[in-house]
Amino acid sequence: MATTTAAPGTAAAAAKAHSTNRKWAVGLLIAVVVIFLLYSQILPNAPADVQTFFRRWLSVSAVNEAVLWVVFALGLNIVVGYAGLLDLGYVAFWALGGYVAGWIMSPFASSMYKSWGGLKLSILGHPPAIEGLDTGIHVNFWLVLPIAGLFCALWGLIIGAPTLRLKSDYLALVTLGFGEIIPQILRNGERIGPNGVFNLSNGDKGISPVDPIPTWPVSYIPGVPDELALKASDLPYKFLVYCLLAAFTIFVSLRIREGRLGRAWLAIREDELAASMMGVPLMKTKLSAYAVGAFAGGLGGVAFATHVGGVFASRFDFAISITLLAMVVLGGMGNVWGVTIGALALAWINSTGLEQVGQQINSSFGTDIDFPSYQFLLFGLILILMMLFRREGLLPETRTRQVLQEPERGDLESVGADLEGEPV
Amino acid sequence: MVKPIKAVAAVALAGLALAACGGGSSGAAGDGGGKKVVISTDLPLQGASKDASDSTNNAIKLYLEQIGNKAGDYTVELKTYDNSTAAKGAWDDATCAKNAQEHVANTAEVAVMGTFNSGCAKIEVPVLNQDPTGPMLMVSHANTNPGLTKTWDPGEPQKYYPSGTRNYARVVTTDDYQGAAAAIYAQSKLGVKSVYILNDNQTYGQGVGKSFETKAAALGIKVIANEPWDAKQANYTALFNKINAAKPDMVYLAGIYDNNGGQLVKDKVAVLGDNAGAVKLMGPDGFTGYPELNKLPQAQGMYLTFAGLTTDQLKAGGGAAAKLLADYKAKYGVDPASNYALYGVAAVQVILAAIEKSDGSRKSVTEQVLAGTGVSIPADKAAIGKEIKIDPATGDTTAIDISVEVIKDNKETFVAAQTVS
Repeated sequence: MATTTAAPGTAAAAAKAHSTNRKWAVGLLIAVVVIFLLYSQILPNAPADVQTFFRRWLSVSAVNEAVLWVVFALGLNIVVGYAGLLDLGYVAFWALGGYVAGWIMSPFASSMYKSWGGLKLSILGHPPAIEGLDTGIHVNFWLVLPIAGLFCALWGLIIGAPTLRLKSDYLALVTLGFGEIIPQILRNGERIGPNGVFNLSNGDKGISPVDPIPTWPVSYIPGVPDELALKASDLPYKFLVYCLLAAFTIFVSLRIREGRLGRAWLAIREDELAASMMGVPLMKTKLSAYAVGAFAGGLGGVAFATHVGGVFASRFDFAISITLLAMVVLGGMGNVWGVTIGALALAWINSTGLEQVGQQINSSFGTDIDFPSYQFLLFGLILILMMLFRREGLLPETRTRQVLQEPERGDLESVGADLEGEPV
Repeated sequence: MVKPIKAVAAVALAGLALAACGGGSSGAAGDGGGKKVVISTDLPLQGASKDASDSTNNAIKLYLEQIGNKAGDYTVELKTYDNSTAAKGAWDDATCAKNAQEHVANTAEVAVMGTFNSGCAKIEVPVLNQDPTGPMLMVSHANTNPGLTKTWDPGEPQKYYPSGTRNYARVVTTDDYQGAAAAIYAQSKLGVKSVYILNDNQTYGQGVGKSFETKAAALGIKVIANEPWDAKQANYTALFNKINAAKPDMVYLAGIYDNNGGQLVKDKVAVLGDNAGAVKLMGPDGFTGYPELNKLPQAQGMYLTFAGLTTDQLKAGGGAAAKLLADYKAKYGVDPASNYALYGVAAVQVILAAIEKSDGSRKSVTEQVLAGTGVSIPADKAAIGKEIKIDPATGDTTAIDISVEVIKDNKETFVAAQTVS
């Protein structure tokens, strides 16, 4: 797929990519430190109107949520952006990750089955210090992360397997199906089995509370709380934890992309047939894309449960998958930094951005427009404009841009190129 | 191609920057003297509950205006929060968590009126409870799920109060009474012998369905089934055909109208016939306060219960409530869209009474309601026409009022008050 200008894959291009990555990484790290200091040190002592301004435009909980969206978007980017497998059901992994937290990080396990009533198991856990809530399974947050990641990766394989023979639209429909099935099972999973003896998910009531995030050994630093629960003062520290997860996902995404597996994904994305002819094992490569992508979903799911303080089935609907997909596409499919920026931007618009901009417009022009209720209209408009004028996203990957700028197949064929060959 | 885009981007950026600057300058309004406190409402302002929430906010604004924004020595300012998202058209867990954290972060705020949905309250109450300067008081006008204040599901209610101190109160009674009252009315006044219960599979719907089922069975009504309906289905003809085969006297819809309740009501009439006919239709307060439901021809004759006194009753009762309703109509041109509007005012009255007695700190405001003798609003002042008394031990209201209404002439019409033994 070599083109005249760029030559991805050459040593020079690789070096350029590395230096770009380093710049981005350093830039974001500085941003993280600044934001942390802002919310933990500067804002609490700032004048009231400065506080009000930040609370309205960029509250720390909105920032935390946005960072978690980055984790999910990067996970989806591996499946959609790297491997080119259109996945419309990514919300399933968010849900599964969250429920792993609900199962092994809360008192809930003791009410799953009648004879488990007295169940009390703690693996370096931090059960809430409330009477009657020390039952169930309490595994340390940091251990739950890999467990949930692996659990979701396993489900990624299970969901991925039947889709291997499918491409594009058909693949999208099957993933959409799974994305609907899994949340539905969790939403209705209060009474499963004969006579409804087994309570899988507590149904729509959801599972709460999930355990706090322990900070040992960082807690030896004066001022750092021992555990991060729902206290307002814990939020800047939670921000750091979530950024750590996002950084891990970014790191893995970047490193994998350079390696054998990542290059195999890109090859499949650009031409599956050619890739398989060149010896890329399609099944293994595609399944690993699902597994790695789902792993990130598991991490994010657990973290999101600690953000909200529980897992609630009503969250996991189709709109989430679509929003994530929009983050990936708008940011620049395949480009980790683009997706990160896309996710942060859309998450902000969804949480406080649109509402505040709307209020500002209302107060400046004396109008009374209910902007949040036009959210989807604006959202759709942004998508349409982006697709018309900048299909490759905000920060496109060099390769994607080249592919999109190549003449259409039809154009080539019209001047006589034979791309299809004889049907076999 | 590139240049116009750049120009658009530049304009957009400039617009954002301007907006940001504007935000900074107008943000100064929140600052004030020591005697100024902020109370907030936390309601779903988008989706199907929009009308109910808007009229609740409007009624509260009107009330605050009438009392000159004063609670004792304190000047009270109102701030409204939205706990719904456009994507869901209903309350959203992350938004509830965010709101709760913002209530805590906004140091001027001393108490929260809300939420509308019990599920959202269950996320917010623990956050407010762990406020280091609090706990921060929340008084709900509409949460009817028992678990928030009483032993109900495992871990409830103590799991909502990690600090060990209560900070939540409500001015409506709970679903365990509402479902039971509906069953009593169905048996004694409507002569129902067998019932088919459909629930929306959500916390509220299951709770009220369960309490209806329990009471109905105790009264000797045959409960054919209590099963969930799927809110995402395009129509329920098949479901009602199945129900038709079981020949119930009544279908009870335990859930909220937002969950495709309109379609459900339409298909009920299409398959089982008119609500005045052989098969009655009844729903809990989750179906009250929706003008679009009331205007639905198929909804006529549907019975509803409400965990409090209805706007009709309050109007007829005279006093402070009737006056407030008249003023509301004078100001906004319509009656409140929901019976909950005045309960919103009642919840604010509880908050204001607490602020008046307090030293202005969150902790003190909470203690006025949930410690000592608690708060009560005398009948001649109360927005719900009768004395509001909050039990300081639980935060529940001592009044157990269940009203039965019927949808007639495109509006909810009060039929009877139902007592629960």
